[in-house]
Amino acid sequence: MSEFQESHNSNVSHNSHSTPPAKNAAHINDDLLSSLRPPTLRWYLLAFFLGAVVAWGLAAFTYQMMNGMYVTGKNRPVMWGFYITGFVFWVGLSHSGTMVSSILRLSQANWRRPILRAAEAMTVFCITVAGMFPLIHLGRNWTFFYMIPYPNQRGLWPNFRSALLWDMTAITAYIIGSSLFLYLGLLPDLAVARDRTSGWRHTMYGILAMGWRGTSHEWSVYHKASTLMAAMIIPVAVSVHSIVAWDFAVTVVPGWHSTIFPPYFVIGAILSGVAAVITLMITIRKAFHLEEYLTPLHFDNMGKLLLVISLLWSYAYFVEVQTIWYAHEPIEWEVFGFMSGKYTPQLLVMLLGNSLLPITCMCIKRLRRSIGVMLVVSLLVNVGMFIERFLIIVPSLSHKNMPFAWGSYSPSWVEISINIAALAGFALLFTLFAKFFPIMAISDVRELEARKAEVLLGRARVPSIAGEE
Amino acid sequence: MEMLGIFSNIESAAGAVDGLIRAGFTEAQIDSLTSVPYPDGVLVRSERRSWFRWLALGGGLCGAAAGFGLAAGTAWLYPVQTGDKPIIALYPTAIICFEVAMLCAIIGAMAGMFLEMGLPALKKRPYDPAIAEGCIGICLSIHPGGEAVECDPGVRPEECIGGISSISAAEQRERAEEIMRAAGVLRIIGEEQP
Amino acid sequence: MEKMTSPYKWGMVIDLDRCTGCGACVVACQAENNVGLCDKKEISEGRNMHWLRIERYWVGEYPDVRVRFLPVMCQHCHDAPCEPVCPVYASYHNPDGLNGQVYNRCVGTRYCGNNCPYAVRVFNFYQHEWPKPLDNQLSPDITVRSRGVMEKCSFCIQRIRRAKEEAKGEGRQVRDGEVQPACAQTCPAEAMVFGNLADPRSRVARLSRSPRRFQLLEHLGTHPSVFYLKGGGREHV
Repeated sequence: MSEFQESHNSNVSHNSHSTPPAKNAAHINDDLLSSLRPPTLRWYLLAFFLGAVVAWGLAAFTYQMMNGMYVTGKNRPVMWGFYITGFVFWVGLSHSGTMVSSILRLSQANWRRPILRAAEAMTVFCITVAGMFPLIHLGRNWTFFYMIPYPNQRGLWPNFRSALLWDMTAITAYIIGSSLFLYLGLLPDLAVARDRTSGWRHTMYGILAMGWRGTSHEWSVYHKASTLMAAMIIPVAVSVHSIVAWDFAVTVVPGWHSTIFPPYFVIGAILSGVAAVITLMITIRKAFHLEEYLTPLHFDNMGKLLLVISLLWSYAYFVEVQTIWYAHEPIEWEVFGFMSGKYTPQLLVMLLGNSLLPITCMCIKRLRRSIGVMLVVSLLVNVGMFIERFLIIVPSLSHKNMPFAWGSYSPSWVEISINIAALAGFALLFTLFAKFFPIMAISDVRELEARKAEVLLGRARVPSIAGEE
Repeated sequence: MEMLGIFSNIESAAGAVDGLIRAGFTEAQIDSLTSVPYPDGVLVRSERRSWFRWLALGGGLCGAAAGFGLAAGTAWLYPVQTGDKPIIALYPTAIICFEVAMLCAIIGAMAGMFLEMGLPALKKRPYDPAIAEGCIGICLSIHPGGEAVECDPGVRPEECIGGISSISAAEQRERAEEIMRAAGVLRIIGEEQP
Repeated sequence: MEKMTSPYKWGMVIDLDRCTGCGACVVACQAENNVGLCDKKEISEGRNMHWLRIERYWVGEYPDVRVRFLPVMCQHCHDAPCEPVCPVYASYHNPDGLNGQVYNRCVGTRYCGNNCPYAVRVFNFYQHEWPKPLDNQLSPDITVRSRGVMEKCSFCIQRIRRAKEEAKGEGRQVRDGEVQPACAQTCPAEAMVFGNLADPRSRVARLSRSPRRFQLLEHLGTHPSVFYLKGGGREHV
């Protein structure tokens, strides 16, 4: 086998006469599947640490279930707090896969290739984590199945006129849809992994690859299916976050009841999703030494995307606030006054992280290509987005219509623990995924390498990529 | 009967395909096995129209009906007045219809894709792990004798047989092996040894 | 607006000019409806269980300060914002125009509590207990709510039910004044009047047509069943 690979190596760079030569297939496979190597002690330590945090969160949740909702910081009138903030935040993060993978797939942006697997996997895990929050937040968690539509002895179906049921339907659709989308992308890579492994891993990949051989027919159907799936997952993603926005927008709560919420939430979701993909890219690049594949070019392009989305977010935020400022409707204005008064530092961090910093930094090419800057900006965007969700939910509830029943909210240790455990749970799921499945889209990356060639144009050699159509 | 030749690069594989077609095999008998997708026609041409999208559409329609049943049907069966909202409310029904329709369309697309690919494969077919490392496999299905059938639009691709089918299967195989060797095959795998 | 499927449309009129803010209604409500007993801690956390609260507003500048009282309970809106948002129909509209809450359906999303503009829905953050001998005063007519469940004023639906059943047994309709929730019954100033708004000759219907009447947060279009009266010549501020 190895001997064979040697002979193959000498043959593959047939059409690239320039530097750097196209990487050969076995080499790329080695690089991109390096994450599947037996785990090191550090990996175990990381997994153990994350597992311990998740266990702590589970303990906190058990404590809450055994004692009651009083262990949270919620009260009357602030009946939603950190859990729903976490829910909206994680649903937002889950928009990365759709944005980066589907939209770039449909627009045939070749630079998406090394990123898409991480983005798609992130979508699945984020939406899974998000889906847990509404259940954690229930007063009687043990009766959560009352909300599931099935013929039951209670003689009552759930109320589909409630936005929470729209949420549940949309999130179910998105979890299943994005998992299938992830699996679809994985299929050829699972076959590669199957051919390169032995033992139980070989069996596992063999079952999951379903006997994929890579015939021309399989590939042609596969491509059509990928395009179709990408086209279908986008409206689902948009609807998911629109519905999350409707949880707020369809109410009569001042500051929530706003028509701009659905598009504003979708933009915010994409902003946090893109930022999270950048963070993840940096992590993966560092952890698996994939500097050759995740180049500054990718960060440059993601930076541009971040710039556009951040501008859109700023626009949406401005539109929302200025309308309220001008109309000066007393209750809404009170909510905004309370928000900007009580949460001034948070508000400033949010504006800095979501708007000021990305817009200024991402305008400069040198900063877009600097990994350190990208890490700081992308992390701050998500800090800002968490604050943004918090500032939407809590101040409105604190100062609702009846001044006598105004209140305030601060999260308890239980809520904070569960939110941190959610982050750790996501990281744990992702770490496990990266250990068991190809974290880089091998076929997609190699497809690009196979199609790359340099052509002579005038006096210069320019790279060219053979296209489909 | 199938045989699989493993080639180290795309040129030699394409040369083998040309040789096989010149020898009288049809394009439909030849299949390429690659771990990277190549545009159609680089190795072989498969001009089949895919039908799996209809399954996605069908799934979507079923989903829309199911969504309508869930949102409107259950509300109609168990009418409970809430607020001043009608029992069968337009917007919620539309939202649920959309979500369930999209879910079923996605499931339909995936199921259709696997059905059309013929996966999961029930019987073992010739394959070589080297394909994963960038080698190209050229898979030839040999029809054991019989009359040549032109690959006309009305003929199912697996039924059309090239002119070479007049000779016996063993001879066909020998000739194909010769052509592949000439094109620089690395090794040839028969059906016996999976 | 609302479909009339019942000869009753229960409503209440609260005359703010009569209200002295004594709080007897709050106590009566607590006693009648098995409302959980809250200690100092719970109340300071904003988790009190009162179905009915007396809002106290100071009006004017010192030394000319006046106090205004506003008893607020569930307004039993006809376009109730709390009802359609419940995923499990725990909050629903009953044919008498009451805003029902089915405790054993409630899963505790608290969405209704958020969407109630009057903030009159109370949530059982704690598991409430009635130390002996207070458990003897629990009413057998209504459930004791467990933790994790939303509850609120029901216009003493158990009394309405009983009156309706008695009237039905006698083959007549419930007479005006025959049924009263605990708060109205207890009010020493007779500031609260309860009755059938669907009957135009009932006392509550006549008072609800008073030029002094107003409704809370009328602009939200929730169409409450509770009317307030204010200003009848004794309005100083």
